[in-house]
Amino acid sequence: MRTLSMALALILVLAASPGFGQDRPPALRSFETLPDWSGAWAMVGGTVFDRATQTGEGGAVSKGVRSHPPYNAEWEAIYRSHLDRRDKNLFPDTISNCGVPAGFPRHFNLPDPYEFVVRPEQTWVLTENGPNVLRIYTDGRKHLADQWETYTGDSVGQWEGDTLVFTTVALKGYRDKDVILDRTGLVLSDKSRATTRIRKTDATTIEVQMTVEDPKALTKPWVVTKQFRKMPAGTRLYDYGCAENNRNPADVESGKTLVLGPDGKPLNK
Amino acid sequence: MRTHAPLLGALAIALALVFTVPAAAHHSGAGFNSDKVIELTGTIKEFQFTNPHTWIQLIVEDEKGAKVEWSLEWGAPNQLGRQGIRPSTFPPGAKVTMRLRPMLNGAPAGAFVGAKFPDGKTVGRWE
Repeated sequence: MRTLSMALALILVLAASPGFGQDRPPALRSFETLPDWSGAWAMVGGTVFDRATQTGEGGAVSKGVRSHPPYNAEWEAIYRSHLDRRDKNLFPDTISNCGVPAGFPRHFNLPDPYEFVVRPEQTWVLTENGPNVLRIYTDGRKHLADQWETYTGDSVGQWEGDTLVFTTVALKGYRDKDVILDRTGLVLSDKSRATTRIRKTDATTIEVQMTVEDPKALTKPWVVTKQFRKMPAGTRLYDYGCAENNRNPADVESGKTLVLGPDGKPLNK
Repeated sequence: MRTHAPLLGALAIALALVFTVPAAAHHSGAGFNSDKVIELTGTIKEFQFTNPHTWIQLIVEDEKGAKVEWSLEWGAPNQLGRQGIRPSTFPPGAKVTMRLRPMLNGAPAGAFVGAKFPDGKTVGRWE
């Protein structure tokens, strides 16, 4: 009887404990077991996803290499309209080139150095350009069921060996017409989400493979791979502030890139 | 002002890619003439070592002797800084000859290509 009472008491204590009967967070990896992604990294290749759309001087460096999203007809038409504006040297939008986060997946499509900061509970992907921060939670948390949409969304994931696998949701996409993915005006909708795998393929290369799903804009998943090359040891990163002295603003009405003279007035309006 | 369009055309084409890689991520470089490089000799007024792009302000005398302020756009300060360029690279008051891709509409501005000081020191591309 005494043994039975003790067993019941133990069950009651356990039942009252936080987390009992619920999903327990996975044990965090220790620093020593995490991969070394330290240093500064630079994206390999240009900042246009679909290089086959590049025109003009300094155009396609890898002719025929396409990372063209598998758009449905409606969103292909939107993209084509942006390409038409690009061909007239007009920006598809006048906001995203200065002043708002690059967003996802453009976060992995930027010039200037990157840093991949690996911690047991989070990994941060820092970009000098912007600057931008992508936080990837690896502490076992889940996406919020009522997460509101933002430029960069919400990323949670886990380690699979030395590969960081995470999902990104709650992206505002092109809903407010202030998020483009590159200067050709490539866009996704506010229903886009992605599964991303980051791994170091050799001592000087990090590979980021994104599988983007978008039931509103795409007919099938869009798989994009970006590579990052390690920069020389000791490379420093600095402030980036587009508003500091932006003498090339885009004209809000026309989308034309202005050149401001020393008095702040456009030289080419 | 001396123009070296035939001689420097190939250089301009080669430099177009170099210049537009950092610049195009931020804005269009369509306002500059990618097929033409001109030379200007003048006095440095200011080197704006600022984001998102650096600007060199150069005072140049035109054919009538009037002083004209030219604006030469160069790369991002962070990228240039990592390559050894500093705010002191173009000290105010220094005489210098600069090569640039001028604006298409003739306004006194352009994309910086290279510079040469009287002592022979060069900055940027000056082959």
